[in-house]
Amino acid sequence: MYIKGRAWTFGRNVNTDLIFPKVWFRPTYGPGEMASHLMAGIDEDFPRKVAPGDIIVGGQNFGCGSSREEAAAAMKEAGVGAVVAPSFGRLFTRNAINVGLPIVTSPRIDEHIVQGDEIEIDLANGRIRNLRSGYEARLPPMAPESLRLIEDGGIANYTRRVLAERRAAAARG
Amino acid sequence: MHAIHKIIARHANRASVEVGEIVNAVPDYVMLNDRGAARAADLLRQMGGDRVLDPSRVIVVFDHHYPPIRPQDSVAQKQTREWIKEQGITRFHAGEGIGHVIFPEKGYSFPGALIFGTDSHTVTNSALGCVATGMGHSDIASYLAIGYNWLKVPEVIRFDLHGRFKRGVFAKDVALRIAQLFGEDAAPYLGVEFAGPLVDEMAMAERLVLCNMVIDFGAKTGYVQPDAITARWMTDRAPDRSWTAERTDSEKDYARIVNLNVSEIEPLVAVPHDLSDVRNAADLYDVRIDEAIFGTCTGGRIDDFRVAAAIMRGKKLAPHTRMMVNPGSRETYLQAMREGLIDIMVEAGATIGVPGCGPCSGCHQGMLAPAENAITNASRNFKGRFGSPEANAYVASSATVAASAIAGRIVSPARASND
Repeated sequence: MYIKGRAWTFGRNVNTDLIFPKVWFRPTYGPGEMASHLMAGIDEDFPRKVAPGDIIVGGQNFGCGSSREEAAAAMKEAGVGAVVAPSFGRLFTRNAINVGLPIVTSPRIDEHIVQGDEIEIDLANGRIRNLRSGYEARLPPMAPESLRLIEDGGIANYTRRVLAERRAAAARG
Repeated sequence: MHAIHKIIARHANRASVEVGEIVNAVPDYVMLNDRGAARAADLLRQMGGDRVLDPSRVIVVFDHHYPPIRPQDSVAQKQTREWIKEQGITRFHAGEGIGHVIFPEKGYSFPGALIFGTDSHTVTNSALGCVATGMGHSDIASYLAIGYNWLKVPEVIRFDLHGRFKRGVFAKDVALRIAQLFGEDAAPYLGVEFAGPLVDEMAMAERLVLCNMVIDFGAKTGYVQPDAITARWMTDRAPDRSWTAERTDSEKDYARIVNLNVSEIEPLVAVPHDLSDVRNAADLYDVRIDEAIFGTCTGGRIDDFRVAAAIMRGKKLAPHTRMMVNPGSRETYLQAMREGLIDIMVEAGATIGVPGCGPCSGCHQGMLAPAENAITNASRNFKGRFGSPEANAYVASSATVAASAIAGRIVSPARASND
């Protein structure tokens, strides 16, 4: 999986209350609704600035706090190409994988990227590169199961496939 | 293997598991809160699932937005009630309190169990010696459809607590001390066990506070080795439940062991908007308090009410200070009434709300206005957590919150609890 895009930088310990504030919680969401509130706790204009393929770069412990899946789902819906940080909150990591949003951990990466930098990520070969500065780092290998979930487009597709397999098996008797 | 690994292995139908490995595990119980149930039901349909595979493992709790606040909540809750009936889910609790308070009370969490929930504070249950972790809505919807979830086997670290608490110091202050020393990412993706002589004597309520807070250090689950205190809790709460405690094989099963002497800890407060920015309560006298927010899955148990009422007895809130109290559960509410603790708080001027998440849900009664200061025994001081993003939240123990509500400023409870 190969991703290239423009960087938007955020700080350390950015919690999911900031990425997707509770006031925008709904029982169901229309198309584009989650994306329209992305990062509302930090910059209400962000949804109008971010373009498909852009890369979100966070500081340490990015996406900490509440389990709200909307934080990752809103990024996916906005077309964010990948989210990159030195470390992530556990639930955010899990939710990113489950919604099929490439999530990349790289030590001190936030010190090597400034807003607007062009970033290139090669997930299959485990490499991240800042095309402006030439900075390059190797990525720790992602668990194959997680990579497959991302490539499948997330846990919804995975679940559809398991259900279809079970139904086919049941039909065969 | 660590006990946490043995629990995961057993629920993945495996003899053993390795750290870092991803396994598919079948939980004993899955908690869906009001929001989680509405979203998961919707996502389940989107995933092509027409029914919940095993409704006997699903427990639905309305705690965030109950009673419904906005018309959209009323509609969602009505749909969820219908969905629950349709799916044959029989364990349903509305208005009975917060999932993470109800679970241990009703014996839904028990030693050796694996518990998932649609809420980050699901980790609270791990004080019983189980593995308990929060998940996203798609995760839980997938579980409902296919009956298992992927789980990465975490490394485990252990905090050994030594020493004696000073007057006015509680488990909450230990949790804040850990955040102060090691940051909000003290334990990313890790299992966190609490042990040592202090934990051996610690009441279950205090163990629940420690394990509740591990999510805010980034952890996947907490853990306390089940002992006589755990066994007594289970006998009192769920005598019919059979359970098996797992044991950790050796010290080698820990990635790290941290010794913490609690004797030096003062009553602490996390100041806005960072849980690891922690000061001594005694040094924050200049902070004027507009609202005290008391309750939540961190500080809404009967023990918290006893501590607060002892401080508030015969006193009044400061004239410029209001206090919102939400019991963690109906059982807590009833017990606090029986013991006269609610009387003490109401006479002091506090407002009692329904058992549930209260203002910590971000939209229930007790929201803050811009530039207001609140002190709370909840777990988070995030920006905008209790209403306006321009408001300030200070996180402290139940004792510090009660003492500060009376003083109208942040004070140490060390003297207040002396009488």
